[in-house]
Amino acid sequence: MSNPVRIQPDLQFVKDLQEVGGDTLKRCYQCATCSVACPISPAENPYPRKEMIWAQWGLKDKLVNDIDIWLCHNCGTCSDLCPRGAKPGDLLAALRNMAYRKVAEPAVVGEWMSSAKYLPLLIAIPAVIWLIIWIIRAGFLGTYFPLFALGADGHSWEVVKEGGKVVFGGLFPGDFTIDPIFTATFLFMVYTFYKGVKRLIASFDVPKTFAIAGAPNPSILVALKETVLCEIASHSKWKQCGEETEGDQQKFTGHLTLMYSFVALMIVTGVIAGAHWGGNILRWLTGASLGILDFFGHTPLNLWNPIKLLAIVGAVLFVYGIAKLTTRRLNQNAKKHGSSWYDWYLVGLIWTVGLSGIFSMLLRLANVPLLAYPMYYVHLVSVWMLFAYLPWSKLGHLVYRTAALTYARHIGRIPMQTKEEKTFVL
Amino acid sequence: MANTSILVVGGGFSGLTAALEAAEVGHEVFIVEKNPFLGGRVAQLNKYFPKLCPPSCGLEIQFQRVKNNPMVKVLTMAEVTEISGTPGNYEVKVALKPRCVKPGAADLSADAAALSKDVPSEFELGMGSRKALYLDMPFAFPHRYVLDKENLTEAETKTLARNGAIDLSETEKTLTLNVGSIVYATGWKPYDVTKLTNLGAGMVPNVVSNMQFERLTSPGGPTSGKIVRPTDGATPKRIAFVQCAGSRDENHLNFCSYICCMASLKQAAYIREQLPDASVTIYYIDLRTPGRYDNFKKRIMADEKVRAVKGKVAKIEAAGPGVKVTVEDAVTGLKGEDLFDLVVLATGMQPSLAGQKLPRGLEVDEDGFLVGGEDKGIFAAGCAKLPLDVMKSAQSATGAALKAIQTVKGR
Repeated sequence: MSNPVRIQPDLQFVKDLQEVGGDTLKRCYQCATCSVACPISPAENPYPRKEMIWAQWGLKDKLVNDIDIWLCHNCGTCSDLCPRGAKPGDLLAALRNMAYRKVAEPAVVGEWMSSAKYLPLLIAIPAVIWLIIWIIRAGFLGTYFPLFALGADGHSWEVVKEGGKVVFGGLFPGDFTIDPIFTATFLFMVYTFYKGVKRLIASFDVPKTFAIAGAPNPSILVALKETVLCEIASHSKWKQCGEETEGDQQKFTGHLTLMYSFVALMIVTGVIAGAHWGGNILRWLTGASLGILDFFGHTPLNLWNPIKLLAIVGAVLFVYGIAKLTTRRLNQNAKKHGSSWYDWYLVGLIWTVGLSGIFSMLLRLANVPLLAYPMYYVHLVSVWMLFAYLPWSKLGHLVYRTAALTYARHIGRIPMQTKEEKTFVL
Repeated sequence: MANTSILVVGGGFSGLTAALEAAEVGHEVFIVEKNPFLGGRVAQLNKYFPKLCPPSCGLEIQFQRVKNNPMVKVLTMAEVTEISGTPGNYEVKVALKPRCVKPGAADLSADAAALSKDVPSEFELGMGSRKALYLDMPFAFPHRYVLDKENLTEAETKTLARNGAIDLSETEKTLTLNVGSIVYATGWKPYDVTKLTNLGAGMVPNVVSNMQFERLTSPGGPTSGKIVRPTDGATPKRIAFVQCAGSRDENHLNFCSYICCMASLKQAAYIREQLPDASVTIYYIDLRTPGRYDNFKKRIMADEKVRAVKGKVAKIEAAGPGVKVTVEDAVTGLKGEDLFDLVVLATGMQPSLAGQKLPRGLEVDEDGFLVGGEDKGIFAAGCAKLPLDVMKSAQSATGAALKAIQTVKGR
């Protein structure tokens, strides 16, 4: 005992952890069933048993720098098999929730995102911004619920008393309300993620992983390519995590559908924004306009426009995916798995974004200004929340987990390879 | 008219002890045993703690005491179905299954050997077989064969019908006993391995339970005590013990079964005595060696071929003729797979009453252990109350007998 290790437990950290979803961690008695139950944990220093004892002992430094919390995909098998109901899966989810608070700045947003009591504040920020715009625009247009007809130039909208249509772009003009605000928000988010990922990677205290003779570890770029193509695109890890139960199926299809619907909607947004601003720039520079750019860039798009169709399909899949995930979460055995505020915040927000988007379109087509504009307002508020708070929300995993998985692949921290035994039947 | 008789439910070590304690101070005692023979779980062991005696050592004496004491009445193949009345005045209904063999200790070994069918033996826990006419072990008590008519051929039935010691017409009976108090010593059953899905659910060859391993090592067992791999009879070189197979697990038995760690250490000793080349690995959460048992652990662990690894086995799969176990060594933090020739699951004790339909007035906790009842003159002894070793079961049975006596005394 020439080198005694001095342990400095952080009791407040243990309490914080219990609050964000790790409330059962003290029940663990270190049997290590969880590490074996996990089909994707590595052979050396597997998770989540070591995280359980670090958490019990209040070893904050170890936990906040742990890369393994991002390798877990929360299939819940460890919690199902846990003999003590200590819910190791929930602990790792709780640690990820703490990481959302820790890595992104300003930290105060992380605090607001950590508890339901701050939700009114989080809603109030975009609600006020969009309400001010609405009020100002109502001042210009003379009404809060305007009906429009296309102006003489074929681009601008003019308020009419009779026979007009609900046009969201008339009340909230893209060029100088929606686009600047969302572009700024988006850039802010990207910058926050950039800083966050840098901090995250720098913080990783990688457990000792033995290099076994063989191919050298892939470079970061190769690792990123492999992670995105081999893991994320197909959700291959999720299949490894188990696909037996109805819950597994709901989780797999729900998440995969939701992810691809996000991709579809991202393509829609990208095409519209590109065509729209391309058209604008062309018009300012030359005074001419290009039909193809107007076709894809002038909203609202026709219902038979391929991009519009993609948007509709995306929206339907979006709601389908979140419905699957919500069902699974509601049917979970509460003795084995819990859901934290981070889970419900995201589930609620995605529902709000999806439904307000779909109903905005339907109410617009139905031409009911008194309902369509408030619905669109809700959509703007919720979409802004989705993007602006992304780095502090559970959805931030799309960046942090991708980064961590890539890094793990790069340093060779991969799931334990099982020995296949050939069975000969004579 | 108050009654000073005592009913003991269960004829294992606890039940025998309680019955003898009460009978030897002058009380009439009835032992009601579900099986055809007395001796319970101890009879199935190869050796038992604390002195590693074979079961004959303690049980034969108890059987002699029962046999020689006219105050003890033994009812086998019997189950209590109903209890009514109050302390000092119980009326107990007992259902008796037909034994089909008349009283007396007729030697029917030749008749039994002549029978064709081999039936999986309950006593051997699936490791061996018996005939339709059988004794469970060499010093079975009562030393009276039992006939299981279902497993006879027509010709055999006809032959046996002519045998004077056999009564094929015997049917199920009900009996009423009047007693003053009741001792429940119903003991335990090995936890059902088919529920341990991640440990192979009983489907992986060469994975046996610790009780099956006792049969495998017992001189009276299916291999006459030779330790072999069940599938091919090969001598195992590497043997693993998986502790807490079902115990200390809220999904299975939410308690520690007290003696499985000691049982595995004891079984490691069997292996090391018989197979000098074999190595033993014991995978555990905590090696629980209460009191003086710790000395035994130190002795066994001093053997360099016996290794203990902190980490619960959480996956067992077949790998060719061997068994693959996956475990994380919680001390080194290494997760790996290891191959063994034979794996012993240290399955826990489940109280026999768990999941059973109980006579009215009897109360068990959520695990199946008897609770309360003392105010009613019903006392639990041994593993019906909590998991114990043989020695502590006997102590608890003596205590229960004293309470039972106090209940009926002076009435």
